[in-house]
Amino acid sequence: MTEQLERLVEENAMVRPQGEDVVTVVAVVGGGTMGQGLAQTISQHGIDVLLIEQDQDALDKATQELSDNLDQQINRWSITESDKRAILTRIEGTTQLEKVEECDLLIESIPEIIEQKKQLFEVADELCPPETVFVTNTSTLSITEIAAATEREDQVIGMHFLNPVHRIPLVEIVRGLKTSDQTFRFVQRFAGMLNKTAVEVFEYPGYVTTRVILPMLNEAMFVVMEGVASAEGVETAMKLGFNFEEGPLTLADKMGLDELLFWMETLFRELGDQKYRPCPILKKLVHAGRLGKKNGHGFFKYDENGRKIAGFDM
Amino acid sequence: MKVLVLNCGSSSVKYQLFNMDDRSVLARGQVDRIGMKGAVLSHTRHDGHKVKMAGEIIDHQTAIEYILAILISENHGVLEEREEIDAVGHRVVHGGEKFKDSVIITKEVVEQLQEFIDLAPLHNPHNIKGINACHQLLHDVPMVAVFDTAFHATMPDYSYLYGLPYVLYKRYAVRRYGFHGTSHYYVSRRARDIVGRKMEELKIITCHLGNGCSITAIDGGKSIDTSMGFTPVEGLLMGTRSGDVDPALVLHLLGKEELTIGDMNTLLNKHSGLQGVSGVSSDMREIIEAVDDDNERARIAMDIFTYRLKKYISSYVGILGGLDLLVFTGGIGENAPRVRWESTEGLDFLGIKLDDEENNDTIGSENNISAKDSEVQTFVIPTNEELVIAIDTEKLVNEMD
Repeated sequence: MTEQLERLVEENAMVRPQGEDVVTVVAVVGGGTMGQGLAQTISQHGIDVLLIEQDQDALDKATQELSDNLDQQINRWSITESDKRAILTRIEGTTQLEKVEECDLLIESIPEIIEQKKQLFEVADELCPPETVFVTNTSTLSITEIAAATEREDQVIGMHFLNPVHRIPLVEIVRGLKTSDQTFRFVQRFAGMLNKTAVEVFEYPGYVTTRVILPMLNEAMFVVMEGVASAEGVETAMKLGFNFEEGPLTLADKMGLDELLFWMETLFRELGDQKYRPCPILKKLVHAGRLGKKNGHGFFKYDENGRKIAGFDM
Repeated sequence: MKVLVLNCGSSSVKYQLFNMDDRSVLARGQVDRIGMKGAVLSHTRHDGHKVKMAGEIIDHQTAIEYILAILISENHGVLEEREEIDAVGHRVVHGGEKFKDSVIITKEVVEQLQEFIDLAPLHNPHNIKGINACHQLLHDVPMVAVFDTAFHATMPDYSYLYGLPYVLYKRYAVRRYGFHGTSHYYVSRRARDIVGRKMEELKIITCHLGNGCSITAIDGGKSIDTSMGFTPVEGLLMGTRSGDVDPALVLHLLGKEELTIGDMNTLLNKHSGLQGVSGVSSDMREIIEAVDDDNERARIAMDIFTYRLKKYISSYVGILGGLDLLVFTGGIGENAPRVRWESTEGLDFLGIKLDDEENNDTIGSENNISAKDSEVQTFVIPTNEELVIAIDTEKLVNEMD
């Protein structure tokens, strides 16, 4: 069928437009929460997605969760049934990494383990055409170090999206040491295609968003620990005082307390400043297995629909 | 003169090639799924020859390139060479307050249109893409923009202004613009031709009932009020749009359902209307089937639809100070006798009375469906926006010479 169209153009001596900046297929490697969010958002903007997982079970799980998530969004009025169908049609799930050879852009959202990311990029470097741009979604690891695993260091760049990807209109774009201006502009345009506002940040722990929000959440925990105010009091004060959609402890529960602790420890270690010392309550809750909204209990208790059902207790 | 009419949407381009000597359509078709895998070009020639082609069509320019190619192709085409296209007419959704009529497209016009993107973020960007692509491909061939809003530019200020602080109108051009102008214009002119009277002496109401629905009061040929407003959400109930709602209700729901502005936009535009009320479908045919199967919510949806239409028709008779012609057009207006009947039932006192049989027999064709003793003549007239665009294009290009 494609041949027909091409012949039509040839017969009539026409020149096909050059599509150097065109992104038509994006490979998303890793189908966790972030990978699913990326797949949805990219597909929603009319770009085909290859969602790649390491085995069939993981892929099935990712596809199911993605579909469930879309149903939730229909219930929340953000999309329609036909939007869902259109989104899913443009996402092709696969366990074959070799398929990345078709993509214009590759985004990895696999676990934050430097060796795994390096290995993935090294393999993809062999498989992808030379012009494909590699994006890492890391928020903790060095782009420069990951890029060094490839022969295309100038075409590797970081894009730090925030969860839930389809709702947060921001992306932090992170250059590695050797990232070229061309690659930067390319992903900047890609961010534009996804309707995201891009902020350029330099490779430094936590970038802007994580670096600024974390100490605030941590401080809120200290306020509770020191008995300055109750957990509910902190929530109300910050919500109403600064027009936040939710209080800091609710936000912490939503982000995942284990993630927060991991982050605070990383900032503390990397930047060496006392202000990043994780609050003991945070450690205590994580050690007690209270990880936040995702397992129903963090600072607050939640039912299976994620609705808050009980206040703070220790 | 041969005129190519283009209607560029977000991922589609519809086209018709007119021979203006006899106003016949030489070929028509559309490209769908632009920028996605498996884009499709469907093309129909005047002799009924049809062809579908699939392939990769990355952007509007490529789409138009293919359209030009198929128009001159040996097997499917109707032209020897693309130079035979004398002019291109573009459908443009929003002309803001600036464009009260169709215009020859110049660099300045395109710049102006860029400024209106804010007013029609879903449509104008694609219309502009189409214009730029044509300019790239056809160079100096004159192009004309025909606006959905232009016909309503004659609305008086008390009709187009909202009861909001006037300064906001000055600051952001927030006012009622109205849409479907080309369609309301076409069917009102067609109705006048049928009755053979002067436009100046006619009071006409035109109901464009398709996926989107709007109704217009036309006095002496000029639109004096229309039901769509700043956006196409206002007015009648539609397939998936709510039509009129209390604006304070929107604020109430934003809080109750914890919605973002984007969610609310989708709620009003995609989850409401016939679809939202009935839970059955956004398609009037399926609603009517469901009503016949005693589906209660489909019945409610149907009733809201016809009740509101009747309310608008009656109020427009009021502002017009009488009525001569009532016109139904659009997918529902042309094909749903039941909607026409129920929305005019009991309006005898305004002079509107349909002939049951004529009404039931008229599906998708032009006809007078009024009762013999009706003071108001009611017509079904299939709309033809593309022809209006072609005619305007020809006219402006001729004037240019």
